[in-house]
Amino acid sequence: MDGYFYIILVVGLVSSLLCAGAGILKKAPNDATILSVAAVEVSLLVYLVGSIVRVATGERIAGEPWEFWGYLATALLLPVGAVYWAILERTRWSNFVLAAVGVTALVMAARMNQIWY
Amino acid sequence: MEEANKNMTASEQRTGDAGTTGGAAGPTQRDTRNTGPGRLLIAVYAVFALSATARAGYQILTKFSEAPFAYVLSAFAAAVYIVATISLAKAGRTWFKVSVTAVLVELIGVLVVGALSLFDAANFPHETVWSLFGRGYGFIPLLLPILGLIWLYRRRPARKQA
Repeated sequence: MDGYFYIILVVGLVSSLLCAGAGILKKAPNDATILSVAAVEVSLLVYLVGSIVRVATGERIAGEPWEFWGYLATALLLPVGAVYWAILERTRWSNFVLAAVGVTALVMAARMNQIWY
Repeated sequence: MEEANKNMTASEQRTGDAGTTGGAAGPTQRDTRNTGPGRLLIAVYAVFALSATARAGYQILTKFSEAPFAYVLSAFAAAVYIVATISLAKAGRTWFKVSVTAVLVELIGVLVVGALSLFDAANFPHETVWSLFGRGYGFIPLLLPILGLIWLYRRRPARKQA
């Protein structure tokens, strides 16, 4: 597991806990929960830029490269889709939708690490 | 929100699809399953539809000959998740029936494949979403159809007025 994974581990867990907590407190999605999901998106973008740099400087992906990029591209779409789905209906349940993003991104980042090394 | 639904008048129930196309929080009709907890359910189904499709596609494109049956099963599971996601998001009686069918097929699938992979491991060595009752996915594949059926029962369409 590399630094990119640990960034997503921390940001994803904080975001999921924050969103799930807001949902349990019966709050609708607000700036804090939406921005925490945006932070997950930013950390995935850092992973994307870092990976492009690593490949450009000659590092090799041990597994299937297109599987790695497929995971990364899908993970990048998740926060966007979840925020869209959540703000269409701003109820407490949408915070649980947002909470799913962090843990899903975390699982996908773990898989991406496995493919890379 | 659910109280509001119960208190709706008949005229409000006839207002049609505003609740599904507009997407605003206003509960305009009862015959939908895409509000409240349903949104979370649909989101999780969507993630499974996506990951199962990607996984099945990858298995079939790269190593289909290793275990044709397991990978066809993977593709079938992916199709079930796609149908469940779409039908749960849609309003109306027909989509309700499609949802019930898809979720029941999913429940039977995860139970049968889960049991077979446990007791007949020799013939089920290759992973699918439903292997070992979805252990590889935190048992969510086993939990999802049960929650789905509870949700569908709670939001079943009202009986037709004679």
